[in-house]
Amino acid sequence: MLQAITRLLRREKRGISTVIVVMLSLVLLVIIVGNVVLWSYQMNQVDMDRMQENLTIVNVTRTDPTGFSMEIKNTGSISAHVVAVWISNSTVHQRYSADFFLNAGESATYNRTDIPVPPDAFLAKLVTERGSIAVFSTD
Amino acid sequence: MKRFVKRFMRNKRAITPVLSHLLLTVVAVAVMAIATSATFVITTNLRNNMSERVIVEDVWFHNATGTVDMYVYVHNVGKVSIEVSAVYVNHVRQSFSEPFRLGLNGHDWLSIDCDWNSGDVYHIDLVTSRGTHVAGYYKAP
Repeated sequence: MLQAITRLLRREKRGISTVIVVMLSLVLLVIIVGNVVLWSYQMNQVDMDRMQENLTIVNVTRTDPTGFSMEIKNTGSISAHVVAVWISNSTVHQRYSADFFLNAGESATYNRTDIPVPPDAFLAKLVTERGSIAVFSTD
Repeated sequence: MKRFVKRFMRNKRAITPVLSHLLLTVVAVAVMAIATSATFVITTNLRNNMSERVIVEDVWFHNATGTVDMYVYVHNVGKVSIEVSAVYVNHVRQSFSEPFRLGLNGHDWLSIDCDWNSGDVYHIDLVTSRGTHVAGYYKAP
């Protein structure tokens, strides 16, 4: 019985092109879906990392003659790379580049002497590489 | 050898099957090339759409002499370059500093030509050319 079927299949040439087309289409489909799923997984990981990132500005004090001292704590479960500092008040919104890392659970003091701080109330912000923002207000 | 070539050139039999096979091969290769290119384009577009991540670092309600504008500081934290194609303030389309493009890790001020009143809340919505929305409520000081 099995031998007869095998013989029949070997002799029968019809439908081979259909099978090849379906197989090639399946290969293309698998490539598309696999690529999209893998990339989606990577981007989900990026979003998860950003959600785990949590920086807190504990305090900001002015230093003489110009500058400030900022106490920061990383309360998240992932290390953070700070790329920018904002000092804003009602008249000036200024962004300054920064480049420092803070490990998970670590506290640090960030000192800058080149940034003038407004004498009145101001807002200080830290921006991380992943896009999280920590805010501190002196009000 | 010369005789063989002459005989081969004179013999016209089985030319049609050879030609048909050749044509079929050419068509199959062309179709596969088109399918592979389409796959590449589709996956690239999908990946680019998924890779867009944009944040608004700061919004400045600016009130300089003679002009009243909004300034939005945009930072591209995604894995592809972006272009802001439309800006909506309270769901009304506004003109802005076009073209506004940011490369990888790029950041810059985007100025919106829109009047504002102190104390009012504004819903600012930035739309990229790939359709990503970055929206939020901001209160004018």
